[in-house]
Amino acid sequence: MKTSLITENLQKKILFVSHAISTRNQLPILLNFLIEAGEGKITISATDLEIGITADIPAKTEKEGSITVPAKTFTEILGNTSSSKINMETTQEGLALTGEGEKTVFQTIPTDEFPKLYKDKGKQIMVLKDEAIKKDFSKVVFAASLDSERPALSGVMIKEEKDGFLLVATDGYRLSLKKQALQGSKKTKTEEMVSMLVPARIIRELIQMEKDSGDGDIRVYASKEKNQIIFSQDDTVLIGRLIEAEFPDYEKIIPTDFSTKTIFERDSLQKAIKAGYVFARQTAGIIKMSIKKNKISVSANAPSVGKNLIEVEAKTTGEENEIAFNARYLLDFLSNSTSETVSFEMNGPLNPGVFREVDDPSFMHLIMPIRVQEAA
Amino acid sequence: MDEENNILWKKILGEIETEVSRGIFITLFKPTALLSIEKGIASIAAPSTMVIDLLQKRHYQVIKKTVDKYTKIDTKIIFVPKIINKGIREDIGVSPLFAPVEKKQTLIIGHLPRVRADYTFQTLAVSSSNQLAFVSATTVAKKPGVAYNPLFIYGPVGVGKTHLMQAIANEVYKNDPDKKIIYTTSEEFTNEVVEAIRNNDTARMKRKFRNVDLLIVDDVQFFAGKDRAQEELFHTFNILIDAGAQIVLSSDRPPSEIKKLEKRLSSRFAGGLTVDIEAADFELRCAILLIKARRHNIDLSIETAKKIAERAHDSRELEGLLLKTITIAANRGVEITPELAENTLSQNIDEEKKFFRPDEIIRNVCVFYNIKETLIKGPKRDSGLVKARQIAMYILKQDLALSFVEIGNILGGRDHTTIMHGVKKIEGLLLNKNFSEEILGIKALFGNSEGGLKKW
Repeated sequence: MKTSLITENLQKKILFVSHAISTRNQLPILLNFLIEAGEGKITISATDLEIGITADIPAKTEKEGSITVPAKTFTEILGNTSSSKINMETTQEGLALTGEGEKTVFQTIPTDEFPKLYKDKGKQIMVLKDEAIKKDFSKVVFAASLDSERPALSGVMIKEEKDGFLLVATDGYRLSLKKQALQGSKKTKTEEMVSMLVPARIIRELIQMEKDSGDGDIRVYASKEKNQIIFSQDDTVLIGRLIEAEFPDYEKIIPTDFSTKTIFERDSLQKAIKAGYVFARQTAGIIKMSIKKNKISVSANAPSVGKNLIEVEAKTTGEENEIAFNARYLLDFLSNSTSETVSFEMNGPLNPGVFREVDDPSFMHLIMPIRVQEAA
Repeated sequence: MDEENNILWKKILGEIETEVSRGIFITLFKPTALLSIEKGIASIAAPSTMVIDLLQKRHYQVIKKTVDKYTKIDTKIIFVPKIINKGIREDIGVSPLFAPVEKKQTLIIGHLPRVRADYTFQTLAVSSSNQLAFVSATTVAKKPGVAYNPLFIYGPVGVGKTHLMQAIANEVYKNDPDKKIIYTTSEEFTNEVVEAIRNNDTARMKRKFRNVDLLIVDDVQFFAGKDRAQEELFHTFNILIDAGAQIVLSSDRPPSEIKKLEKRLSSRFAGGLTVDIEAADFELRCAILLIKARRHNIDLSIETAKKIAERAHDSRELEGLLLKTITIAANRGVEITPELAENTLSQNIDEEKKFFRPDEIIRNVCVFYNIKETLIKGPKRDSGLVKARQIAMYILKQDLALSFVEIGNILGGRDHTTIMHGVKKIEGLLLNKNFSEEILGIKALFGNSEGGLKKW
């Protein structure tokens, strides 16, 4: 194998590809990149068997071939090179990387130990508009559970509805739901209604991929039989597996009415919660919101450290009320929301509170309150 | 079969573990499972195409060799992409957002139609006169359809039948808001039947009443003579009991004494637990007064409560007198004292003496002669019994001016001529001075009828 390419092009891609490397992996081959030199390009792949990423980079290939190199060292060396153009060549000792006045040789493992990331992509089921990806998915994906022991809660449900797509994720304590999502996306006509549960990790990588690799629509391929989902944008391909689990009946838990509704500036509440969190994190994150006619009093109390109270301007309709939440969840929502003003609806201190964006009625976020004894 | 596969696969993996490196075993073999093995084909589940690729490319031989050893034939290995959830907690219900919430969700809706939210077990004063009924009602509310079915509660007016029944409804609703509960009176039920027949829409009504978990019908004595409603109730009754739904009924008398009620219905009414609530005794009346006063935000002294309780017998009357006292005190701008209560209420004494219900008269006659109520209505004709019965006839005729036929019905379905004879006989005997004193003695019981009833 012998090829040469622009350093910058490789640097841009390699960081994203390395997301598919899990350092805890026990199989040495999975700590390596697969580098394949083909006509006019090289392809870099990585996988931890759960997800896989490949990226194409333009290159001038003199001799086609492939090799695997340790991902961590390769990425670090590449990050520190000052050459604008580098050559890669397989030698007796391993893979030699040469630039202007520098030469590195990497230990390699033969290519045939590296797993194939996919046999075929499966049917193309839809094309996603790139602008919609970050906007819609990032409001939902944070609500999914990181605990893979509960498969159904660790994914984002993507469901086709009459007026667009529905995205929903929950970890059992909170739930994010976005209707009419992914505007501008097109579904392949012949396919049946889309309804799939995609691991939150894949969605996070998808957001990252869209951010890194720039423009262009994202094609989605899925195969239920192979239990496989592929997102591909430009020259980058993200491969994952679908979750085969029953998504909880989220419709059932969405409150249909409320006794208190208050509207406030997202930024002000976020600041108040951040301040309260200084104390709240000492006490399992408990933060109390006391909703009054024209303000919300945010209070946190850590008996051994101190306490604070911050008032946020708000416009309340309905009865005055009190509710306590885990500050972590509040901050997750507030930092992922993009709306300037946010509304909050509640129905007694034990029922889930509902946050909505005033700009975007198709979005809602539910948080389960914490049951507190008496007043913090 | 699944279990067998699992055991077999465990053995196979055990052997493979000794042949491959630990890293390979954990990443590639651990998440696999044997789905099926038949006709020389073993299908093995592995979590992703990447894992399958590696297994196929690098470990096919070792897998096949080990599988063959167990099957003793040449076995083909195929891989299926499927995540096998080993020991994974699938019970999403544990998550707080999904488990208890549903209940709370439904609770928000408020309280049941036709049922007063403040009629609960907690707001009911309990004493010996209604303790049995209270205990049975709480048991029924705890285990609807299981404990006593149907529960039949009877007793005179104003003793808390309705309160108790609505408390059952409230309690069941609180424990499980998804339970379908219908509370209705016999009057309303009859109206529904009539309406349904008129609109030619009986199916809808049937669906409504035969699809519940708890049916409560108040004052079933009013079903007397309403044949079509009785028939409808009869069928509803059977279907609900078969379906394990709870039925609670109330009446002012036991099922066997409800007139013009079809036999099959009254026998069904009595088929579960029949409990009676007696008129409230003095202590209970005081307790009720204190509870009711608190609801009006007034702290009533025990002494005042006693004064009022002396003058009323059922709880509605109590409430009326209490309100009267409160209003007068408020108008005059004075505190409520025992004296005030006594003064304002003294004018009530006369009116209250006037009216008695037939069953109270019969009860008092029975108390006087120390015989059982059922005997006086029964067929026996011992001379003592006949005398008491005839006195009852006489008083019913004289004081309540009932017709002979009605009296006959009350006294266990006797012919009106029997009654005419009895009344005449007593009128004759009244000429005797001793005898008229006896009658006066009975009537004196009515004066403080509660005294008589209490000891009963």
